[in-house]
Parts: sequence; C-alpha cells; structure tokens
Amino acid sequence: MTSNKSSLEPPGVSPDGTAGQAEQTEQPDPPKHSRRTILAAVGAFALLGTATTVLGGSLLNPPSSTEDGDFSGETLEFLIPLASGGGTDTWARFIGTELTNYVAGRPGFAPVNEAGGEGILGTNRFARSAKTDGTEILVGTASTVVPWVLGRSAVKYSFEDLKPVVVNGTGGVIYARAEAGVASVQDLINRDTPLVFGGISATGLDITTLVAFDLLEADVTSTFGFEGRGPVNLALQRGEIDLDYQTTSAYGSAVEGIVKEGKAVVLMSFGQLNEAGDVVRDPNFPDVPTVAEAYETLHGKKPSGEKYEAYKTLLGLTYTYQKGLWVPQETPEKAYELLRQSSEQLGTDKAFQEKAAKVLGGYPLVADTGMADRVRDAYKVSGSVRSYVTGLLADKYNIHVE
Amino acid sequence: MLDSAMAALASLADPSLLIMLLIGTVAGLIMGLIPGLGGTGAVAILLPITFGMEPPQALALLIGALAVVHTSDTVSAVLLGAPGSASASVTMLDGYSMAKKGQAARALTLAFLSSMAGGIIGAVGLTLAIPLARPLVLSFASPELFMLTVLGVSLAAVLSRGNIIKGVSAGLLGLILGMVGTSPTTAEERFTFGSLFLGDGLSLVAVALGIFGLAEIASRASQRRGEKQTISLGGGWGQGIREWLTHWTQVIRGALIGIWAGVLPGVGATAGTWMAYGQAVATAKDKRQFGKGDPRGIVGPESANNSVEAGDLIPTLLFGIPGGVPSAMLLGMLLTYGIQPGPSIITEHLDLMYLIVWSFAIASILGALLCFLSVKQLAKLTKVPFAVLAAGLVAIMLLGSFQEGGQLGDLWIMIILGVFGWLLKSTGFPRAPFLIGFVLAIPLERYYFLTDSLYEGFDWMARPGVMVFLAILILPMIWAFIKFIRARRHTNLDDGHRDEQPEDDEAPLKNSTWSLAASGIFFVAFAAALISSASFSPEARLVPQLVSTGGLIFSGILLFIEIRRRLRDRTPKADQSISEEAEVILSTQPAKAGWTLDARFALKTFLWMTGFLALTAAFGYLIAVTIFIPAFLLIVARARLKVAIIYTGVLYIVLLALPSLLPIDLPQGWLNTLV
Repeated sequence: MTSNKSSLEPPGVSPDGTAGQAEQTEQPDPPKHSRRTILAAVGAFALLGTATTVLGGSLLNPPSSTEDGDFSGETLEFLIPLASGGGTDTWARFIGTELTNYVAGRPGFAPVNEAGGEGILGTNRFARSAKTDGTEILVGTASTVVPWVLGRSAVKYSFEDLKPVVVNGTGGVIYARAEAGVASVQDLINRDTPLVFGGISATGLDITTLVAFDLLEADVTSTFGFEGRGPVNLALQRGEIDLDYQTTSAYGSAVEGIVKEGKAVVLMSFGQLNEAGDVVRDPNFPDVPTVAEAYETLHGKKPSGEKYEAYKTLLGLTYTYQKGLWVPQETPEKAYELLRQSSEQLGTDKAFQEKAAKVLGGYPLVADTGMADRVRDAYKVSGSVRSYVTGLLADKYNIHVE
Repeated sequence: MLDSAMAALASLADPSLLIMLLIGTVAGLIMGLIPGLGGTGAVAILLPITFGMEPPQALALLIGALAVVHTSDTVSAVLLGAPGSASASVTMLDGYSMAKKGQAARALTLAFLSSMAGGIIGAVGLTLAIPLARPLVLSFASPELFMLTVLGVSLAAVLSRGNIIKGVSAGLLGLILGMVGTSPTTAEERFTFGSLFLGDGLSLVAVALGIFGLAEIASRASQRRGEKQTISLGGGWGQGIREWLTHWTQVIRGALIGIWAGVLPGVGATAGTWMAYGQAVATAKDKRQFGKGDPRGIVGPESANNSVEAGDLIPTLLFGIPGGVPSAMLLGMLLTYGIQPGPSIITEHLDLMYLIVWSFAIASILGALLCFLSVKQLAKLTKVPFAVLAAGLVAIMLLGSFQEGGQLGDLWIMIILGVFGWLLKSTGFPRAPFLIGFVLAIPLERYYFLTDSLYEGFDWMARPGVMVFLAILILPMIWAFIKFIRARRHTNLDDGHRDEQPEDDEAPLKNSTWSLAASGIFFVAFAAALISSASFSPEARLVPQLVSTGGLIFSGILLFIEIRRRLRDRTPKADQSISEEAEVILSTQPAKAGWTLDARFALKTFLWMTGFLALTAAFGYLIAVTIFIPAFLLIVARARLKVAIIYTGVLYIVLLALPSLLPIDLPQGWLNTLV
C-alpha cells in the first residue's frame, strides 16, 4: 500500500499555474484550454494510472508463493461462472468465506462472477488463462457440466483437464400430483393419458430426470419453458402439470408440505452413487426408493444397459458430485494438497457442519484422499453415453445439440 | 399473531439491532445512488458481513438495505436523467422533466414521500399477505401471467404520449431485443450470431442505463454552465407534503400494484413500476402533462418500486422462490442460518417474519427521512455544469453496469444502445415502451407457450382471471383507437403539427433526416429479425416472427409518413393549402435539415465514450479513467484545471480503494494480463 500513497502526488504538474481563468466561469462558455495544459494534465494522470497499474500489479500482488506450505499474503479468487444471487453463487461465497479461515496463512477471498453463456463463457476463460498456482479456483456446477457432457461446440473446457479440490453433492426426489391419479410408481406406466412433466430446459439439469423417465419407460410428456424449479412446483400445485422433481435443499419448502396435505406423492429419489459407482439410497431420503429400485418394481428385473449407464453417469455428474471447486491440472502438488487438506478439515469440522447444514443441503463436503480418483471416474463420460443422450434429445425432444 | 408482532417490535429496541438496521439503511441508500448497482450491489456488499451474525441482526441489516435502495435510486434519475436502476427510469420521465424546470426539490420531495409510503404499505401488505399469499399465488396460473404480460406490453400504447405508431414500433423493437439469447421454450439461441456472450441475453442494467442514461449524457454534455436559476423548495417542506397528500390515491394504487407485481414470480420490479406508471397515465383525465413533469408520474411509480421489494419477499419467504437477485441473496442468507423458507416459516419463525416486516417499515421511514433532509443539498447538484458531471457519470455508470456479469461486452452494448437511445429521444420516439418491451419479451413468450401447451385449445380464455384482464385490455384499446382517429382528423394531414404537444424542444430532430433514418433503422431491424428468425425451429420462431411482422407494418407506416413529408417539404410553396402554421414551424426550425450542432456534439460525446471503452479494453479501467476524465473535463467541459486535477485525483483514489471496500471489480484490459 505504501506505493500508492507516494504516488498520490501527481508528478510534474504545477497545480496553480494555469488556474487564472477562474473568474470567467460565469460567462457564457468557458474558454478553451491551451493544448499544453491539456497534454500536461492528461499526460501526468495517464502516467500515474499506468504507474499504479504496472507497479501496483506486481507490488500489490507479488508473485505468489503457494508451495511454501502456506497461502499468507495470497488471495483465493473464486471464479463463479454464473451471475450473483443464484444457488451456486450462494454456495461458493459461503464455502469460500469459510474455507479461507482453514487454509494456512489465511489468504484473502475474492469471489468473481463472470456470467455469460449459462456458465460456459466464464469456464472457458478459466480453462484458457487461469493461474496455475492454486490461487485461482473454478466453481463448477451442473450448468457447466451438462453442456460439456452433451459435447456442445461452444464448450472449450474439459473437466478432465482440471483437478477437483472439494466436491459437494446434492440429491432430489421426483414427485407427482395426487389428483392426476398417481398413488405410486406403478402409475407411471400403462396410463390412458400421459403425465405432464414440467421442465425448464431439456439441456439443463432436467436431463437426468428425462433419462430416468426414459429408463423407466414412464408414460410422460414434457413441457419446457418454466423459469425455475420454484414456478414448476407452483404449477404442479395449481394442477397445470403432474410431475416435478426438487433438489434436497428445496424439498422442505416445496414438497414436504403438500405431501403431508395429501396433494402430492413422492415417487422416488434420484439416489446417490456410492464409491463403487452403484446407485444407493439417498441418506436424506432413506425411506424413498431410488430410480433403480423403481425400475425393479415396474419391470421386475435389475436395470442394465446403455440407458442405465447413462443414468448412473448423469447421476454422478449432476447430483453426487454436482458442485465442486477445481484448479488447473498443472497446479503444483503442494499447493493443491494444501487446499484439499484444508477443505477436508473444513468438511469434517463439527461446528462447520452444523452451520452449513442447509447451504450444503444435507450432503457433506468431500475432500478425502480418494476423492480425486472417484471424481475422475465419475467425470469420465463414455462415447456411448454421450451418443445416447444426444440421441434422446434429438428423437424425443427434437433438440439438436451443436 | 399480535403478540409476536409486538414482540418483534420490542426486539427492535435492542440497540444492536437498531444499529444494524441503520447501517443497512445507509448502505442501501448509498448503493442506490450509484447508477447500476442497486439492490443487487447493496445485498452483495452486506452479505459477507452477515456471516457470523445472529439471524435477527443479519436480517435487519439486509432488509434495511433492500427497503431503501429504490428510495435513493431516484436521486440520479431526477437530477441527472441517469436512472440509478432500471425501475428508476420510470420516475425519470416526469421527475427529470420537473427538475429541468427548476423544480428538482419538488420532484425529490414527492418521490421520497412516495417511496416511504410505498415501503410502509408494502410492509403492511407483507403482513396481511402472509395468510393470503398462497391462494393468491396459486390463482395466478400461466394464462393469467400471460395476460398480465400482454397488459404490460400494451401499456406501450399508453406510454407513447400521443404518437402511437412510434410508441408501438419502439415497444416491438424492445420485444425483439429482449428475445436476443436463449429461447425459453426450445433452449436454442436466437439473434446471437453465434456469440456465446449474447446467449444469456442483454443485461437489463446495460440496456436501461444505455438507452436512458448515456443518451441523456450525450444530449446534455454540451452544457458547460450550470443551471442559473436558484432552485427553491417553493414554499418549504410543508407545501411539498401538502401537494403529495393530494395524490394519496395514486400512492395507494401504486403501492398495491407494486406489491402485486412483487408477489407474482416472473414480473419483476421494472415491469411492476412501469405498470404503476401506465395505470396512472391510463386513468388520468388530463394526460398532457405526463412526461413533462406531472406529479402523478412520480408518485405512482415511486410508491410501487419500494413496495415491489416488500411484495417480492412474500414468495421468497413463503415458497422459497425469489423474484429478483437481491431476494435470491437474502434467501441464500436465510439458508446459511438454517432457516428454511416455505409455508412452515410462519409457524416456525413467525418472530423473524415480523422482524422483517418491522425492519422494512422502519427502514423505509428512516431512508426517506435521510433523503428528505438532504433534498436541498442534493438539488444543488443541478448547479454544477452538466458537462463536468458527465465525465464522472460515464465512468461510474460503465463501472456499475460492469458489475452484474463482469463482461466488457455489456459496456459496448450499453454505448451502442446509448446512441440508439439518443436517436430515439431526439426524433420523438418514446423510450419507455422500448424498455418495457425488452423486460417483458421473455415472460410473454414463456407464458404464451406454457398456456398453449398446458391447456387445450382456447379453454384458458374462459378462466375468470383471464376475462378480467381481457376487459382491462380491450376497453382502453377501443378508447385509444377512437382518440387516435379523432386526433388524426384534427391534425388535418399535417403531421408536423400537434396542438397538444408543444414539446419539440424535447425532440429537436423530429421531422428531419434523423427521424427518417430512425424509421429506416426500425424498418431494417424488423426486416432483419424476420429474415433471421426463419432459421429457428417452429416454436422458437413463432413469437419473433409475429413481432417483427407487426414491427414491419408499423415502421413501414412511419417510413411512409417520413418520406412523404420530405417530398412535401422540398416543395413547400407549391401547395398553398398547407396552413401557415406549418410554414411557421418550418421557418422557426431551420436547422432541421440534418447536421445540427446538438447532433454533432452528441455524436462526439459518444466517440469519447467509445474511446474510453477502447482504453479500458487496452489498458484496464484505472488507466482509462486517468486519461479520459482529465481530457474530457479540460477539452469538452472546459473545467478549470484545478477542478480537473482534484476531480481526477479523487476518482483515482476512490477507484484504488473501491475494490477492497466494496465487492466491485474493475474491468481489466489487455495490459493487465501482461503485468
């Protein structure tokens, strides 16, 4: 900061020399300044600005030393590729504020929202030019994962080129309107009139639900275009649609009440991927059967095949490992480990867990030693899964991914 | 219920809560003053501070800020014609006109009092709505929401101040611009020309600040002297309050519309405020003064934009569905405290609900009071030469608009729209319909398709709510049509002459090459939209094609009128039957032919802005400011050297300090990536 103060006095300007025209300001138009005055003043300030930018850049942000065991004097910059105010933004700001207290050297915290292209622009930028010293961290979420899975041409990043520092999952349930004649999973098939599912966009988080319906061979039509999951929930309560899903964090406010009133029925949960990559019950919904169990109930056998593989992949990407902090693959091991271990400490801290219960939606922050490998496996999307999903979108929803 | 309400009020006597409320209120007022930051900025700056506080303190802080942002955002709108937020651009229409007549203090007094009343009514509404919210929200299904957006768009005609063709054209173009980005139904990109940046649509802040704020700067930057006449309060505060009291029905109507717009998800503060304005105009007997400083044009929308925030809290708290970014952040904060929004919040956290209500009401009063006391000081701002203010305003507005998405592209769009806004303003196109079209484009399309696919045939038309809207819509339309026919008969084929519109000083380039060019731009834009929408899928194509076809028709008429007039102007003496008045108009406005001094100055100002942005892109914001500000002050504003040096110095220090004090990022340039 000292450099700023000394540079506050603009060098080379004689402040009072040319102020003689003061009295003339009351007259119609003040006279023009001489070219010399203008050049001198503008030049001086330009110099000042340049000096601050150039010197300030290196003095205020000296080359980082993140491999020396602590992050003192550094600032952790979180790139949030979405606009401020959303769920991901809240999550990132909360985690960032807490995490910086756990990282040795107590670095500063700077969340940066770089919105655009539904998260793609900011993430592209990160992949292209992020610092590789561990001070620049990407916030990943379903919005940026799904277009990558679909192989959209606008996506210039790959999660295979990034390393996960910490991941945090979520879960969800699919529920139906009771008045539409749905009492259990059985009512999803062999229907006279198909059920109407309310969605936001087939190429977003809805994709996992669509794949689940396809896997179950449920008799469902979809209407997209809702503004968010909240409005879909209201539309279901109004009787405009029959099927909806909500994530765990919204379950309490959106679903629990209407289920108690008998207006809605919870059909299944998405489940969670366990360490072996199988679908297991969601700890937050221990009594609700998963999509895989629902398949068994409906079709009498265990699910398998490309549809099930696609479901499991999407479940991992969009639920179990949905949100995460990522650094570039080239980040030095020491810096990476420091961040990961700090996150692990944070995640296991009882006081934090209590405080964070609602923000994290009831799912732990995961940053153990085996996490990176599990995430890497989950983020491997096979060609057949990709082609099945894009095919489903094209055939059933007439959406052609470019 | 009353017990908890009183208990909550008593808890506010706790000094720590009161201090938080005060800090929140002051922070909200300051953030409201800065164009482009608004509620989002206010909550964003306070949110990190709340981590670690008790829920009541944190709530008092955030609600305090949220309640008053729309009180102070009026200041720059009224005094400088640069709206502090998108919804403040509504107040600008009449408030700024009033200020230009030297009645800035009157306008501000009316605005602050209305904001206060809007906030209080909003808080009362919040309390009453707790039991009513659920049936209210559930009774508004997609068809009703669709009709509501239609009603909003049709206000374009009401807001077009006598020139319906121009107003509708502007509204339709706003709709087209609002559709830039991802289609709500098919998720395909429209009018983005392959640009990912445009995929999210244009930023509302950039559009509103460009079309109103930058346009205003350009048209006034030639003023090197301040207002000569001293601004008097005109009889003191007593008179201000008395005048305001005569408009009490407008206050209540505006506030109710605001609450309603806030409660319904997807309507938003800007549209809600416009609707309040629209109803004030539509229900007024004498509409001539609207847009020229009618107090009703200030009172209605100002009450509405504060009560919108209160209304917005209802779905946020009861359904967990935030209506805007600030309430989304508030929702996030509640979650960090383990407070689950939802119907059960009433039973589980009733005390907090009442704390919110009381905080909102107290902050509204406090905020208005603080503003009210500073009216005199604030009004002095108009004495500063506009050109001197313009330099800082450009820097602040661009910085404010940058904060939302952190994209330099938003700033380029802002400048382009600034030029367009200036053209609209100078050639007599109303800009209000343009903005409302822009805001409502996506909701209109969304709810049309949802209605269409969720209901069979036209069953939805028979819903009682829809029929009410149809009645509200059709009756004034018929009335407007009758008036339009009458007006045309009166004008006696002379389009340049409008007896009820002596406001050509507002639109100095009306009936010139410029307005011909503007009509041409409209026509070309609609034609281009029509052609490029042919490649969309049928669902994504329908609405853009309807809108651009309508736009082609209206702008075609405009173009025809303009061309016909030019042909006639060329041979003015051939036809003796043209009234003498027309000749007077022609002769008193000799400079109309084209390249007027004002136009030259305005375009030069835009060049300055472009240069500023180019500097930013190359060297970063700090250097751009240290070059642009002194240069603009010395060359354009011809300010004294001392002024220029202090001005730039202060701004320089502020820019250095800002990023560490507030959650503000400075745009980075090419040079920054090298350092």
